[in-house]
Amino acid sequence: MNKSREKRKGSIILQVATLFALSILATGIIAFITQHARSHTNVKMQAEIHSGEVANEVSLTVREFPAYRWLLRYWYDHSDTLDIEYDAEFTAGTETEKKYQLFKERNPDIQIKYVGLSALRSLPEEDQKLYAEISYSWLITRINQIKQTHNIDYLFCVLTEEPYDRQFFLFSGADPGAVRGTNYEEVYPLGVVVQVGESQQAAMRSAVEHDGSLADAGGYVDYYSFLCDVDEHKVLIGMTYSLSSLTNDVDTQTWRGTAFAMFYQILLSLLCLGLIFVFVLRPLDRVQHNIRLYRKTKDSETVAKNLAEVKPHNEIGQLSEDVVELTSELDRYMRRNEAITAEKERISTELSLATRLQAAFVPHTFPPFPNREEFDIYAVMNPAREVGGDFYDFFLIDDDHLCLVMADVSGKGIPGALFMMVSKIILQSCAMLGRSSAEILNKTNEAICSNNPEDMFVTVWLGILEISTGKLTTANAGHEYPAIKRPGGSFELLKEKHGLVIGAMENTHYKEYELRLEPGTKLFLYTDGVPEATDTENRMFGIGHMLEALNEEPDAAPRQLLQNVHRAVDGFVKDAEQFDDLTMLCMEYKGESRHDD
Amino acid sequence: MLNINKTIDEGKASYLLEGRLDTVTAPELEKELKASLDGISELTLDFEKLDYISSAGLRVLLSTQKVMTKQGKLKIVHVNETIMEIFEVTGFTDILTIE
Repeated sequence: MNKSREKRKGSIILQVATLFALSILATGIIAFITQHARSHTNVKMQAEIHSGEVANEVSLTVREFPAYRWLLRYWYDHSDTLDIEYDAEFTAGTETEKKYQLFKERNPDIQIKYVGLSALRSLPEEDQKLYAEISYSWLITRINQIKQTHNIDYLFCVLTEEPYDRQFFLFSGADPGAVRGTNYEEVYPLGVVVQVGESQQAAMRSAVEHDGSLADAGGYVDYYSFLCDVDEHKVLIGMTYSLSSLTNDVDTQTWRGTAFAMFYQILLSLLCLGLIFVFVLRPLDRVQHNIRLYRKTKDSETVAKNLAEVKPHNEIGQLSEDVVELTSELDRYMRRNEAITAEKERISTELSLATRLQAAFVPHTFPPFPNREEFDIYAVMNPAREVGGDFYDFFLIDDDHLCLVMADVSGKGIPGALFMMVSKIILQSCAMLGRSSAEILNKTNEAICSNNPEDMFVTVWLGILEISTGKLTTANAGHEYPAIKRPGGSFELLKEKHGLVIGAMENTHYKEYELRLEPGTKLFLYTDGVPEATDTENRMFGIGHMLEALNEEPDAAPRQLLQNVHRAVDGFVKDAEQFDDLTMLCMEYKGESRHDD
Repeated sequence: MLNINKTIDEGKASYLLEGRLDTVTAPELEKELKASLDGISELTLDFEKLDYISSAGLRVLLSTQKVMTKQGKLKIVHVNETIMEIFEVTGFTDILTIE
């Protein structure tokens, strides 16, 4: 039991943890995607800003030459005749140094760095060329430095014009020792012309129109910045970054951002799981434990005491209070149930005692008068419930008079039984006083009517047989007609005079009916439980069926006759519940003859 | 299994009974009658659709008859053959007004 509980507790944590893990994964992916997009933009923006700064530096360097437009034009026009030293180190002995000394000798009045346009134009052709070569070397040295400082893959200056489909390379920055040429991994010297693709064209046009533009191109990003117009041409500063370093930056930023986000999420999840454990699972476990405890011990007080410690003012606290209430209610209910069960048992015991008592209260040993052979009696009484309201009775008033009674009280169960007892005693008492049949009923009616608030009544058939003569005097208080079988005949109803049921009206006067029984005559008495026995479809057995059953073996002994009727009734009602009491009596008059022997 | 249809109109009450008046259903009728017999001077029980009456039903008729004798009259109408036979056997024909 403990094991399965542990298992179940574990599974809640597992479920929540799985949920957290999945959501962390989902948000991680989303964070990565958004971070990636943002980082890409960020890095690109930074590259643009950086490129702008570098371009500005290059632009300022170029503009340090007062006649930079003239210079740019001169380089363009004379690119194939200029003798340029690309990697000049400004120490004595370099070509540029020699050219500088030569220029100074020939033009001692001119400050070469600050020479203006008009002064240049007035110089002879040879000196102009010298100036252009010296300036180029100086400038390229600076450009090389800028390129190295800013770690740019390519830094160059091109001249172009509408429709921007070619680039004339004016100068390109290079690392020390780089080879100048047009082959792969060589740095372009002055005068190289390159045809460019559409994206480069667009970028250059954009640079001219908006000053500065990035262009993606096959693993690289190109940046162009407008420098100046030279006549009909446009001069642009260009830069190239390798895309891989950019991408690396983006990836690093993205991974870092995502990792941070996920780290905090995991931290938060762990915190949540911890809180769930402390504030949900542990109290729940305690509640559950106490429910199990209650199931085992049925001790609601201990449960209440234990659960009083579960205090959180939330659903679990409420649950624990509910459990406490439930257990105490269960306790109360069980105690009440026990009391009810005990009461039921008591009633059931009493009822079974009452059943035995009632059964014993009517004559029940057969044959009842073993030494009287003038008549034979057999009777049965089957109450529908534990006790019933039907009864039969027979007794000898004196040696020559046998009293037979068949009665049915208007009610079943305990009230019927109580009324039956009273009726039986009164009837017998009146009979024993030696009165006639009608008088017995009259007196009984009066006795019962005198105290009958519930308007109960009883139907009674009463007959007194003079044994010696076979004279039968009957009186009927609302009871079924008995069936009679005369010697040689078959059973038929004996329709005598009829009176009102006993207990209905005071001062009822019953009439008598007299007949003589031949030896061999049988009298069958019964209550309405026989003809009104009902099957599952509410059909009644009926008097007709009853007579048929009797006439199956009309000459059989009383006991056999009753069995025949009983079997016929059972066969008719089949599975239907016995609803009414079933009581029958059969008396066979055998006559005086044997008495004489 | 007993339908009771009653109409009460200025001291006159009429009950149309349908089904069986036996141990199970008789208390229903008894309760119904007890609740509304006050001030009724003429009570009619219509048995046209009544199939069966047991001794418990007869007891209710007897009680009702006793009450109505004091405050008016009770009559039972449209009694079928089966029930009439029961009335005759039990002698109720002597105390009830059957039309």
